[in-house]
Amino acid sequence: MTRTPSPPGSAFRAGAESDPTPPHSVHLVGVRKRYGSVQAVDGVDLAIAPGEVVALLGPNGAGKSTTIDMLLGLTRPDSGTVRLFGRAPRQACTAGLVGAMLQNGGLLPEITVGKMLTAVRALYPHALPTAEVLARAGIGDLADARTDRLSGGQRQRVRFALALLPDPDLIVLDEPTAAMDVESRRAFWAAMRAWAAGGRTVLFATHYLEEADAFADRIVLLRRGRVIADGPTTEVKALVGGRTIRATLRGLDDAGLAGLGRLPGVARVESRGESITLTCPDSDAALRALLAAHPAAEDIEVVGAGLEDAFIALTSDDVATTGAAAGREETSA
Amino acid sequence: MTTSPAASPAAVPTADAPITAVPITGAAVTYLRYVRSEVSRVWRNTRLLIFSLALPIILFGAFSSSGADDRLGDLTVAPYIMISMASFGAMNAVLGTAGRIATERSIGWNRQLRLTALTGPQYVLGKVTTGFTLAVLPIVAVFAAGDAMRGVRLSAGTYLGAGASILLGLVPLAAFAIWLGYLVRPENMQAITGGVFSLLALAGGIWVPVENFPGWLADIVKLLPMYWSAQAGRAVLAGGWVGGRGLATLAVWTVVLGAVAGRAYLRDQLRT
Repeated sequence: MTRTPSPPGSAFRAGAESDPTPPHSVHLVGVRKRYGSVQAVDGVDLAIAPGEVVALLGPNGAGKSTTIDMLLGLTRPDSGTVRLFGRAPRQACTAGLVGAMLQNGGLLPEITVGKMLTAVRALYPHALPTAEVLARAGIGDLADARTDRLSGGQRQRVRFALALLPDPDLIVLDEPTAAMDVESRRAFWAAMRAWAAGGRTVLFATHYLEEADAFADRIVLLRRGRVIADGPTTEVKALVGGRTIRATLRGLDDAGLAGLGRLPGVARVESRGESITLTCPDSDAALRALLAAHPAAEDIEVVGAGLEDAFIALTSDDVATTGAAAGREETSA
Repeated sequence: MTTSPAASPAAVPTADAPITAVPITGAAVTYLRYVRSEVSRVWRNTRLLIFSLALPIILFGAFSSSGADDRLGDLTVAPYIMISMASFGAMNAVLGTAGRIATERSIGWNRQLRLTALTGPQYVLGKVTTGFTLAVLPIVAVFAAGDAMRGVRLSAGTYLGAGASILLGLVPLAAFAIWLGYLVRPENMQAITGGVFSLLALAGGIWVPVENFPGWLADIVKLLPMYWSAQAGRAVLAGGWVGGRGLATLAVWTVVLGAVAGRAYLRDQLRT
């Protein structure tokens, strides 16, 4: 317990090769899950040290929910191991170490928010008082409201309160702000930040880069059930937050095409006839260099890449397949 | 309450006895807390109050009004119908488990509970215990109605024996309710349980006494579990008990339906 936790990003490499003596909050090794013909999760390794705030970022169907379900012990992996604080997920939950907001999770009907929280509270070994949890989730005024008469944003806040109940060391949030408007989203993250300031571990799934950027110390990029990047938020953001430059270059030969790839700020080049597409971590530098090298360039467009585009760019070996691989079908509420 | 069974292993002076005693106690506490919160949440449910409380009392009043001295089997009409309706109300309370499991499955509430100290088996057992606890209410209410409306007055022991026998006869139906809960979608549950309730009540001789059935039909009814719940209660009133045949029938149905319910439960645990 005296060894300092590995720094973010390098954590899983350090953890995967040796036995995790100082227990990571989360430790997945070679986790796989297949649903029918779809390999939803395809060998995920992930180690999260206590106190880290990690975003699991990926498009719909990337395997985020399936990974989280296996992490929480709600789904059994086909292979691989899952440990939370060095224990099986079930044992960690029983000990009250884990709180979670599951995707599309409903609330118990025919009861008030306060009574529901008190009922669940009784099922944890060292839970926080209901009033305190209501206050921390910013819903002290909802204690007497019926669970089936809440707005979408209010329901999410109540589910956040449920996650806080056991006074957990790890909180796992699966697309926590999906049903929230901008205002509730801001309030939610403010409450979340206040909670995490105590050195507790947070893992949240999102498909918004901005959300991951604003809140996480570290981003784990998931695509088609695999981790395709894992590192500090600033690095991963540079990787996926880039822009795309499209232009028409008349009379471009192979040598000229190869030259484009060497321009500053350009990560990748695609061409279709005379039309070229450059994937750029630094589009400003790339555009200046492009115009210097090809002053006659026409039809120039600079667009911000969507997350899915960025992911395709990062996994260029399988560009041909478009669209996200369908992971676990996420039922709509 | 200081000498709970869970504490007894600690009395054995072995090194690991306290370690085993603590989780058993903790698990039992979690389970009991769950049952308490479930009972206090569910018992005021309108549907439950109508079908398991109001309806049996109304039907008792209607069916027991004529032929006070006529005999059905070993009993006169009023006590016979009283047991039938107590059994009917209790049956509805126990079968209500199906709807509660199905609803909680559909909204993912059972997943939320799996993140607590409550285990999957404790969840199912808690649901069953809740069903049986709620079933006590209609039994007491119909017995009270029997006294108030038709002057059926029994000894405390007979009341207790009859009530317990009715509940014992509902054990196979509790397994059936679990199975339904993991099988049926909540939107179809109302239609299915409505039909199942009526069929079970009819086939159990609740609405029409089995004594009035043709012989071949009565033979079939006596192979079904529902008949034996009311019959077990009536046997106590007649001064006997449910008997070997009834007990064997109930045991076989409990094993069969319990196995089916267990399979449905395990499938659900692995799927979600």
